[in-house]
Amino acid sequence: MFLNMKLLAQHTLNGFGGMGEGMSMQLARDGRRVLWLAHESAPKNFTAVDVSDPRAPKVIVQTDLPHAQMRSNSLEVAGDLMAVAYQVTKFGLKPAGFELFDISTPEKPRSIATFDASGPHSRGCHQLWFVDGKTVHMACAEPELKPRNPKDDQVYRIVDVANPSKPVAVGRWHLPGTMDGDEAPPPRRLPAKFDAGFRAHNTNVYPERPDRCYLAYIDGGVMVLDISDRARPKLLSHWTNSPPYNGFNHTVLPLFGRGLLVVSDECVQDNGADWPKLVWILDGRDETNLVSVSTLPAPPVDAFKTKGGRFGAHNLHENPPVPGAWRSEDIVLGTFFNAGVRAYDVSDPYAPREIAYYVPPSPEKSKTGQIQLNDVFVDDRGIVFTVDRGGGGLYVLEMNV
Amino acid sequence: MTPDGRTPVVVVTGFLGSGKTTLLNRLVAAVPHSLVVVNEFGEVPVDHLLVEGSTERTVALPNGCLCCHLRGDLEETLIGAAMRRRRGDIAGFDRVIVETSGLADPGPIAQTLYADPALARDFKLGPIVTVVDAADPGSRKLSSEIARAQIVAADLVVLSKVDRAADTSSAEAEVRELNAGVNCLRAQFGDVDPETLLQFTPGKHEGPISSPVHNSAIRSFALRFDQPTRRELLQRFLSTLVDLRGADLLRVKGFVPVEDGLVAVQGVRHVFDRLRPVASGEPALVFITNGVEKREVQALWVAMKGLS
Repeated sequence: MFLNMKLLAQHTLNGFGGMGEGMSMQLARDGRRVLWLAHESAPKNFTAVDVSDPRAPKVIVQTDLPHAQMRSNSLEVAGDLMAVAYQVTKFGLKPAGFELFDISTPEKPRSIATFDASGPHSRGCHQLWFVDGKTVHMACAEPELKPRNPKDDQVYRIVDVANPSKPVAVGRWHLPGTMDGDEAPPPRRLPAKFDAGFRAHNTNVYPERPDRCYLAYIDGGVMVLDISDRARPKLLSHWTNSPPYNGFNHTVLPLFGRGLLVVSDECVQDNGADWPKLVWILDGRDETNLVSVSTLPAPPVDAFKTKGGRFGAHNLHENPPVPGAWRSEDIVLGTFFNAGVRAYDVSDPYAPREIAYYVPPSPEKSKTGQIQLNDVFVDDRGIVFTVDRGGGGLYVLEMNV
Repeated sequence: MTPDGRTPVVVVTGFLGSGKTTLLNRLVAAVPHSLVVVNEFGEVPVDHLLVEGSTERTVALPNGCLCCHLRGDLEETLIGAAMRRRRGDIAGFDRVIVETSGLADPGPIAQTLYADPALARDFKLGPIVTVVDAADPGSRKLSSEIARAQIVAADLVVLSKVDRAADTSSAEAEVRELNAGVNCLRAQFGDVDPETLLQFTPGKHEGPISSPVHNSAIRSFALRFDQPTRRELLQRFLSTLVDLRGADLLRVKGFVPVEDGLVAVQGVRHVFDRLRPVASGEPALVFITNGVEKREVQALWVAMKGLS
């Protein structure tokens, strides 16, 4: 299925095509464009793909995790540095946190440092944001904290990596009421079938507002934090859609020139069991009073909901402020699992329009029997890269709008 | 610039026997991922290419194109195709090619695409391609009104059967008399570059716009816009023209600079598309009219501009 998108290439990444939500482009010193991808689960850690010719992507390095009870899931590249998130499956396991690599020679990533966040109540880091080469903003457990509910372990953390060999934790924030010792009462949890946790997910910080973190907090809604004092982030505003919706707020993408925030949910259950999972447009002109004004038009629900696998919103192209990345304030792209990758014109925030999509055929190694597009990255040539959570690996697309 | 994700609808028209089915077959063979809308499947040799499991009114062709039988309204056919594409019931398509019957005026197709909001959400008018038989100009005299309407509506004229025509000049003169600035391609056996044809931007024109002196009431001329004008004034000017002489505005097309960029203007008789921003284009409006003179249109524009 397609509209205004054309497949240029697919690469199953040497048979390890189950990909996470880490996609970042390096403009290598020798002129190559290298796309770094995090895997969704063991045994692989990350894969680098030379996408200089988008019609002929080539794997140039693929690495293994140290053991199977962990995943990398998320990574970011800033210049010749790459940060890779490590999340473990059980509290107390290691490595839990992130690892920094020197990727100046892409074929030979060299470990520079690890940031240890392991502990008796920690699964480590699920997601990180690293665009300035100096600071890692992440959703990661803090060993000093003990969550009242084990699902609430990952908080917003700021780590200074200006000296990459010695990462230093400099600040953190968590939803009051979620940790032992908090004065606030515990938050009201969603019904058990939707209770995914009150913890951080995406932690975006942009040069336009280096004093703001746009934070998605899964069942806790989304927040704008004042991080002008990195040691003591302060809550500026909070918006939630759940209840009555089914939680799992994933990403907050600010469109600074428009005064808008684009918020995605994540679908986490198969066959539409947690539908609706949507992408919301918020009016953020007053950052202390976020107002929902529309949602991106969903693909035909009855055609996809029970088709198999997950169906609903997930990752957005986040306009990363790094060389090589495409940035737009009018077009938003997102992945919707079995409904593929989709692009929307949000020039009228009250009436967003779908303008392009691509739904690949089900890959051979799909456990669900369906494509499960998981993440998307668009480069400054307008080439759309998207990855499958199952076995499909990397899809390279040309968008014509 | 607002992105435009709508699918272009290319209209292939031409008088009976002009060679439009030959041209269509060539396009379908050369360009994948087209939705072809025909009046009868029999006109396009696809019956032997039916793919099992295709939906009732659509057949898939081996190169990724789809062929759709126009039984009901074009509007219903296109909206249904867009719905089935979104649901994954049929494969995607990059463009629609509509072949009109030989006795059809393509104007109403353009009007439908301009005026129907549900249709205009997913589709936009692409070039109207009129196939003109260069070898047998006399055939068009059988129904000269329709043949004229087809030429007047054209963004692009394909002069067909040029290999069989002893002299193509009379056919060319006939075209220029009715649609002076239209782009002309010459073809034998439908042999034109498909990309040139399908990528053609409606509103573009070549050569002088003013029609030569002739005996018919058809006039073609251009108004040029050297300075940006107010969008609202342009809209009022067009509305006034439509109120006064809409029935005689056989085709109006082109680009006009406004406060915040350039807009495309497209209209057929009383029905105009809404003004849409475009990135580039020659700042002029081409008029093909039935008896409306350039000086009259220009006087109206100058007067409205002066009073605003």
